[in-house]
Amino acid sequence: MNLTTFAGAFQWQSRAVLARHVRVHLRNWHTVTLPPVCEPLIMLLTFGLGLGSQMGALRWQGQSLDYMHYLAPGILAYTAFMSSFFQSLFAAFIRMHFQKSWEGQLTTQVRLEHVVWGEALWAATLATSYAVVVCIVLAAFGAAGYLNLHWAWLPATIPLLFLTALAFSAVGLFFTAILPSIDHMSLPFFLVIMPIGFASSTYFPLPDVVGLREIAMLNPLHHLAEGLRWLLLNGEPTWHLAAATGLGVLLLMGLIPLDMRLLRKRVFGD
Amino acid sequence: MFHTLLDARGLEKSLGGKPVVQGIDLTCAAGEVLGLLGPNGAGKTTTLRMCYGYLRADKGSISIAGHDLAREPDQARRMLGVCTQDDTFDADFTVRGNLVQTGRYFRPRQPDLAARIENVLDRFGLREFAEQKPDTLSGGYKRRLMIARSVIHQPRVAFLDEPTTGLDPQARVAVWELISSLRAEGLAIVLTTHYMDEAAKLSDRLQVIQSGRVRANGSPADVLGDVVGEHVVLLPAGTQADAALAWFRSRGLRPAQVLASWHIPLDAQGLAAFVAAFPDLTYEVRPPTLDDLFLALSGEAPQ
Repeated sequence: MNLTTFAGAFQWQSRAVLARHVRVHLRNWHTVTLPPVCEPLIMLLTFGLGLGSQMGALRWQGQSLDYMHYLAPGILAYTAFMSSFFQSLFAAFIRMHFQKSWEGQLTTQVRLEHVVWGEALWAATLATSYAVVVCIVLAAFGAAGYLNLHWAWLPATIPLLFLTALAFSAVGLFFTAILPSIDHMSLPFFLVIMPIGFASSTYFPLPDVVGLREIAMLNPLHHLAEGLRWLLLNGEPTWHLAAATGLGVLLLMGLIPLDMRLLRKRVFGD
Repeated sequence: MFHTLLDARGLEKSLGGKPVVQGIDLTCAAGEVLGLLGPNGAGKTTTLRMCYGYLRADKGSISIAGHDLAREPDQARRMLGVCTQDDTFDADFTVRGNLVQTGRYFRPRQPDLAARIENVLDRFGLREFAEQKPDTLSGGYKRRLMIARSVIHQPRVAFLDEPTTGLDPQARVAVWELISSLRAEGLAIVLTTHYMDEAAKLSDRLQVIQSGRVRANGSPADVLGDVVGEHVVLLPAGTQADAALAWFRSRGLRPAQVLASWHIPLDAQGLAAFVAAFPDLTYEVRPPTLDDLFLALSGEAPQ
């Protein structure tokens, strides 16, 4: 493994690219903050309160709990996954292909490894900030008496959410590198987002389908959702958190060098 | 005293398994404009992209202001500025924001970046558009912004890849003036262009690239002499020209047809032989221009 690939994450050029994305985002803070606030709000109201009241209690790990409590940690995990993947796929593709801002950056002291790390770090930062917004929404529901979580653990989830979001951004960048055009953008949604989402126990417990639990064991989103659930519902850090961390690190170590190689070919034709 | 700021030796590059650049040397001194000429696909942009570190050379070395691009990429890249063929400014920022953001991509930072930006806005005539997004600018002002961005960090070498393509004559002249003023400041400028008048007016030296190799190198007059010859015969197209064309082709010459006439470059000896062979034919003889050079190269290059 080439260590310089990972050293790029800590170089000033990657931070300069990250700072560029932060600067653009903050300029539009009033519009870009709406989705991360509205989405969990709508999810908790419609599914947590609405659907949850129709469902009654459900069984999770031998415990009986209402759907609102099952859903809350799942939303947190899914936000980190979805925001990061979407940003590193769709937004990065637009910057690379249509805006040509990558090409502009690459004519300076910024090199491809910095552009890639800048995109990955930005996707993870944005996803984590969205997850923080979700935490605030959850806290508001707690204050209103609808949720009872182990609140003290909530800040401790942030570093893990960042790491897993960074790993998911590497998956997004993989598709940025290989998709021939924006018309093919629906493919990763069907091939990655939906399967990973469905096999993850974020929004509902895994059904008893042959092989599904085994597949879920390899799904970092599943471990993230379950780990957060154990942590926030029972106050127990479990092996799921370690599994989410380990799978996240593995994804990063495997995919970032591959992303760089594929993007080098795509951007430079090299 | 001029000193060499760009020194590229033995550059080679294959793309997709196809050799695109095959052993090109390139030098440019402070206060010099080097014009890179050649037909489409000759390897000009690939050569330029290697020189500014966008592409990695398969073979060869590149030194920018004394810094080896492969061994000291940060130091070498700090010394160069690039205006790409396509507009690659950041559409999320205003004109001023683009200059600020580009300045942030260089270390050590330009010490007086804010003052430098104000100066560049005035000098490039961008002041009144400073708070507008680049996509609201006309083609000429977009190119001005691209060049302004390429020099915001005060580089020593500037690479300008077809900086006036698509501009109207007035906008082209304005860009020429900017390029001349950058040369007067002591920048080494490497320029690619398809406009022969532009190459002749701006370049101190021309380097002609064909099929990934240097075909000729020197002052515009020297290059014309090397590649085209001393004279160009303009022969009206038509049946009366057929015999003459056959005569030229039998001597290994490749007449190029431009609208209603054939252009044939000849040296003095060839012209004398042609005059003797076709005493009754009507034609025009004039000195060669860079357009003839381009036609000659296009005729020779594999299409």
